[in-house]
Amino acid sequence: MRNPYEVLGLKEGASIEEVKKAYRELVKKYHPDRYRDNPLSDLAEEKLREINEAYDYIIKNAGSGQQRQSYQQRQSTNTSGFTGSYQYDSELVYRIKTLIQNGNFTQAQQLLDSMQVRDSTWYYLQGLLFLRRGWYDRANVLLRRAVEMEPNNPEYRDALNRVNSQYYGYRQNPYYYGTGYRQSPDMCSICTTLWCADSLCECCGGDLISCC
Amino acid sequence: MFGYITPDKPELKISEFEIFRGYYCGVCKAIAKRAGHRGRFILSYDSAFLALLLDSLSSAPVSGEHKRCPVHPLNKRFIVNCGDVLEFSSDINILLAYYNLKDKWQDERKLFGPLGLLALRRGYKRVKKKHAALVRDIEKGLSELNELERSRCGQMDEASEPFAGIMQKVFEYPAESDSDKKILGWIGYNLGKWIYLLDAYDDIEDNIKRGAYNPLVIQFRYGENEDIGSFKERIKKEVEFILVYSLSEMEKAFSLLDVKKNRGILENIIYRGLLTKTRQVLEMGAG
Repeated sequence: MRNPYEVLGLKEGASIEEVKKAYRELVKKYHPDRYRDNPLSDLAEEKLREINEAYDYIIKNAGSGQQRQSYQQRQSTNTSGFTGSYQYDSELVYRIKTLIQNGNFTQAQQLLDSMQVRDSTWYYLQGLLFLRRGWYDRANVLLRRAVEMEPNNPEYRDALNRVNSQYYGYRQNPYYYGTGYRQSPDMCSICTTLWCADSLCECCGGDLISCC
Repeated sequence: MFGYITPDKPELKISEFEIFRGYYCGVCKAIAKRAGHRGRFILSYDSAFLALLLDSLSSAPVSGEHKRCPVHPLNKRFIVNCGDVLEFSSDINILLAYYNLKDKWQDERKLFGPLGLLALRRGYKRVKKKHAALVRDIEKGLSELNELERSRCGQMDEASEPFAGIMQKVFEYPAESDSDKKILGWIGYNLGKWIYLLDAYDDIEDNIKRGAYNPLVIQFRYGENEDIGSFKERIKKEVEFILVYSLSEMEKAFSLLDVKKNRGILENIIYRGLLTKTRQVLEMGAG
């Protein structure tokens, strides 16, 4: 086993508070929900397991009767793993979902193509497939369509929400906007402003910059 | 490659900037070794990023030395020397620059085409011999790309697929474990998609004027009398979605990578540099 402090990105001897804080952040970062539509979800799961083990180990050895409740234990009561079955799926839908989840896109596409009715389920599944294989433009259009056709379906809404929150989450990370120094005037506009001011002064008979 | 992958320089520590430039210089030196000094002109930031990323997976400290080079004879500069990784990155740089020039020569008959090709030919042949399987994959991707261009594909996802696939192959090629291969591959795929579409957006004006192929112009039905500026404004939101979403997927893959060093520089590029570049191209149209 790797050094548990290293796994949590901490120096050995970090306080319990620091451990808990780091743990919370890492759980958020590698949360299964964040990786649900991503082909690397199994690796994220593995990483989370490692983080849980490290956390458990540190807390256990701190020996101060700390409440030992890692993410995994909490998770088992909260969510139900893969694609969370919201409703009863027909066998075909279940098969397509599993194929998409396992990255078997050709077969999933074949089954989708064979579906006669292009209802909201079809749009949803086709959207999921595109999302997983990296065709984000179409995925977005299809998922939106599925939600429009059946606005009350929580599963479709969740998928669309995941897409949106991922997009806005990354785009509105604090670094993207509000980069102060870029919004301040650059040398070029400072010079132009000065030059204009100088010309205006000269028009009125004065002079701001004597050399020009 | 296109040189879109750059750090957000003002936010970089000076030492980090030195190291990033060290990788850049290192790739340049490796190119000169393989393709001759005239080959240096193809150097791109993208391959410096590739070297930086791949080298960050090994726990050995950054190695290099302060030296003078023919391009900057006045000052001594830090030049990274991390062996295979640099060689691989420079090989990829040579390869893609060679295809790019060849493509330009066929399309536009630009004057420097044949001269550049001549300079790169030797390097290209060496690379092809060394990484035969990879070169086969890349050339397959390029012919798919040409096919889509010929049939005037008007769908962003589809049009960017071959180039994304090429970058996926390039990034996963040097991986040592299966999990690294998956992670690096997904980083490459999404970066490739981002590069291709960002470049397409950047080229809209030029492509329309020359009547050249551009997937965005077709997908969003550029009207004959439409003002190019307002067209770009009209499609900005949709293009931004796919660009930023690709970057966010790449970030997820990067989070899973076991990075041993240079974390600050890599995070600067991934969380700031790429977004800043996206915004620059979308807002100002400056590559």
